[in-house]
Amino acid sequence: MSGEAQSPAEYIQHHLVNWCVGDCDPVTHQAAGFWAFHVDTLLFGWLLAGLMAWAAFALGRQLTTGTPGTLQNVIESVVEFVQTQVKDIFPGSNPLIGPLAITIFVWVFLMNAMDLVPVDLLPLLARLVGIEYLKVVPTTDLGTTFALALSVFALIIYYNIKIKGPVGYLKQFLFHPFGKYLIPVNIVMTTIEEVAKPVSLALRLFGNMFAGELIFMLIALLSFAWWMLPAQVALGSLWAIFHILIITLQAFIFMLLTIVYLGMAHTAGEDH
Amino acid sequence: MNAEVLASVYASTAIGVGIILAAAGLGSALGWGLICSKFLEGIARQPEMRPQLMGQMLFTGGLMEAFPMIILGMAMWFVFANPFADAVKAVMGG
Repeated sequence: MSGEAQSPAEYIQHHLVNWCVGDCDPVTHQAAGFWAFHVDTLLFGWLLAGLMAWAAFALGRQLTTGTPGTLQNVIESVVEFVQTQVKDIFPGSNPLIGPLAITIFVWVFLMNAMDLVPVDLLPLLARLVGIEYLKVVPTTDLGTTFALALSVFALIIYYNIKIKGPVGYLKQFLFHPFGKYLIPVNIVMTTIEEVAKPVSLALRLFGNMFAGELIFMLIALLSFAWWMLPAQVALGSLWAIFHILIITLQAFIFMLLTIVYLGMAHTAGEDH
Repeated sequence: MNAEVLASVYASTAIGVGIILAAAGLGSALGWGLICSKFLEGIARQPEMRPQLMGQMLFTGGLMEAFPMIILGMAMWFVFANPFADAVKAVMGG
């Protein structure tokens, strides 16, 4: 890539570094302080969010009930799909949940789908412009997945306190799952359960995307000889097809768990 | 002396990563096997429920994959950005 021969480990390590601006370590290019920005993550995340918003806005101005075009059909099916999920799972009524669910689903799906772009393509183009390191999949950055998960966590706490009241929420910590004689145990177990929600949401998405990207890089390393080309193309296609399923599934799981957790926050007074 | 210590750190990390990956693969395979076997049983009992069961199977499979993926991520971190080697290098001053 840069003229001299890279070892496979160097190739992979080069592709695992974000485009860091600000408080970055000059040698390893990792974040080394609070004011370090992974500009590539931010750029691609916002670009995809802007794409979503523009597509929805452009479509909204020309909705037709006659013979809808392709884009309208696709967006309608996605909206109906998310609406069915929310209706099936979410108890009560909250006008925020539907838009939140569809935003999470479509945005996480689009960010994950950046993994299907060939591994070296965008970093190569970036190198021509002078950007040394570029990671194009925002959800392989722990910052993105934890940002989404912590936002959902904030909403969970907010709705818990709003629906059950602060006293009701506190009682849940003190008296679930055992009775009133085991209050310390209850506090520990409920805290762990509450904290496990955002942590597992973030790490599940990150782990899946990181593993997928790593395998794409390993498949890219298979081109060490000209006769490996058919094997590389075959393996690459197989893994890309499987990865389409993983991408959709992980976005769907993130959305579904968000709806489930917010639904649990809305059910006041569980029966034991 | 420096090279020997570092080599032994890398060797131990490699063995550790091998055990982690073996456990991840085993857990993941067993989990999928259990989920899919129940899925097949369900189809055999009620063939008309196949689409819903397929959706639920993929969903619970994705949930089950969470922890094998997380420890896979940690194992890859040990391989490519070994914190133990960094600690030893910091102590040795280079």
